[in-house]
Amino acid sequence: MNPLLEVREVSRSFEGLRALDRVSFEVREGTIVSVIGPNGAGKTTLFNVITGALAPTGGDVLFEARSIKGLRPHQTAHLGIGRTFQIVRPFPGLTTLENVAVAALARESTRRAATRRAHEILELTHLAPFARTEARNLTLARRKRLEVARAIALRPRLILLDEVMAGLTPAEVDQTIELVKALRSLGIAAVAGVEHVMQAVQKISDWIIVLNFGRKLAEGRPAEVMHHPEVVKAYLGSRYAGAPAQG
Amino acid sequence: MATALRIVAALAIAALILVPLFGSEYLISFAFTTFLFVGMAYGWNLISGYTAYVSFGQISFFGIGAYAMAILVAKLSWPWPFAALAGVAAAALLAAPLGWAMLRLRGPYFALGMLGFMQVLYMVASAWSGLTNGGEGIYLPPVRSLRPVYLASLLMVAAGLGVTSMIDRSAFGLRLRSIGEDEIAAEAMGVDTTRAKLAAFVLASIFPAMAGGLYAYRLSYVDPSSAFPASYEVQVILMAIFGGAGTVWGPLVGGVLLTGVAEVLWARFAEMHLFLFGLIIVIVLRYMPEGLVPLLRQRAARRSGPVLPKEATG
Repeated sequence: MNPLLEVREVSRSFEGLRALDRVSFEVREGTIVSVIGPNGAGKTTLFNVITGALAPTGGDVLFEARSIKGLRPHQTAHLGIGRTFQIVRPFPGLTTLENVAVAALARESTRRAATRRAHEILELTHLAPFARTEARNLTLARRKRLEVARAIALRPRLILLDEVMAGLTPAEVDQTIELVKALRSLGIAAVAGVEHVMQAVQKISDWIIVLNFGRKLAEGRPAEVMHHPEVVKAYLGSRYAGAPAQG
Repeated sequence: MATALRIVAALAIAALILVPLFGSEYLISFAFTTFLFVGMAYGWNLISGYTAYVSFGQISFFGIGAYAMAILVAKLSWPWPFAALAGVAAAALLAAPLGWAMLRLRGPYFALGMLGFMQVLYMVASAWSGLTNGGEGIYLPPVRSLRPVYLASLLMVAAGLGVTSMIDRSAFGLRLRSIGEDEIAAEAMGVDTTRAKLAAFVLASIFPAMAGGLYAYRLSYVDPSSAFPASYEVQVILMAIFGGAGTVWGPLVGGVLLTGVAEVLWARFAEMHLFLFGLIIVIVLRYMPEGLVPLLRQRAARRSGPVLPKEATG
């Protein structure tokens, strides 16, 4: 079976700076893949290249075995790739319901149908009590949740989650973990970009990719990757590379 | 409540249609001018109110409508209603490629790009004497009765209100608002932002073109400065913002109130009227930056509607 998403040797430079350097990996249907790495490792750039917000300077991106390089973000959204933003950007002056309805329009032909679908998704994501609240008045945790709800409204096959857990309290992180697991039950694969919150990564991920300075350092199952010497070095410094890391 | 509103609306419409039968020349003329501005405010609202692509150059289309009217009526002896429609068609045809180029610019660059385009058209109108008579201008046959153009201006306002109200409730309208809120997020949520913006831009060009045509017909004279009156641009923008940009009733409320206020100030305080007008604008924008209609709506919601869940921000 072909992977759902295939990133092949993707590079992206900004005026000589290599933000991504020949990165390759695959995402299988319905799985959760975490891309971890320190700030500036290239996670957001990677997401921007996959969705078409940025063009890669080299390599190719395949979605359902078809190259999506050169497509614009609204086109990849229609193909079934949803995303959230690291610095949340819900539509601040629209209500929570309208925010989700915008995305639902990608699949529904009328405003009425999109609104109905948006109501369902708000129930699913526990945002229904805030349907008529303007997004600018939601807490950070709920705005992040709203971004996931909005991405679900696209009926995607894949959602790219850019730091959905950053800045949340431990209780909110747990709720987000449940939400990400719910994606799996909807048959949606997820790629989560995560800088910290390593315990959460261990809990939800089927596969982990480690990025550092735009390069893939390692990949594997959660238990293996966290003990990989290169990973320990990148996170804790070379002094600890020899010692076995504590899970 | 809804029935009462409907009866009031029906009475208002009847009164507006009857104005030309019973009203004085002054009243008809004042109402006509007001409607031209309200119509233009509806046009501006479609592109700049909903998508937040603020344009300082919608008067470009006003000029195209004015010149189409002048050239077709004075030189080719067309009946004025056809000339007005031809001006609208010309503006829309021009708006398509223009929007394709201009809508790549964002924020102040788009606003200034449109302003620059208006200057270019002004130059062209001044220089292309063969078509426009340059600075000498074109004279149209004098208008015998204001009544037909008054009705045309009333129709334009009705069209502005009707089209805006339809768009506001439609999928298209929601897409336009999402662009106004955050274009990058809209694109990521599957909105073809280029297409939606262009459609709004072309639709928005129709209203100033119609207004320009009617204005030229009424004035019986068109030259570059009367076809591209930059001060009208400012007034139209103020009206839309004063009433509430991105709302269905904002352009109507703002347009009628501001032309009314300006008229009263001009009649009572001839020497100070511009100063007082400016003062009112500053005060209004200071205390209700979103405009009158959103403010009234919030008040009404607070009085009657269910209390929304209050969120602690943070």
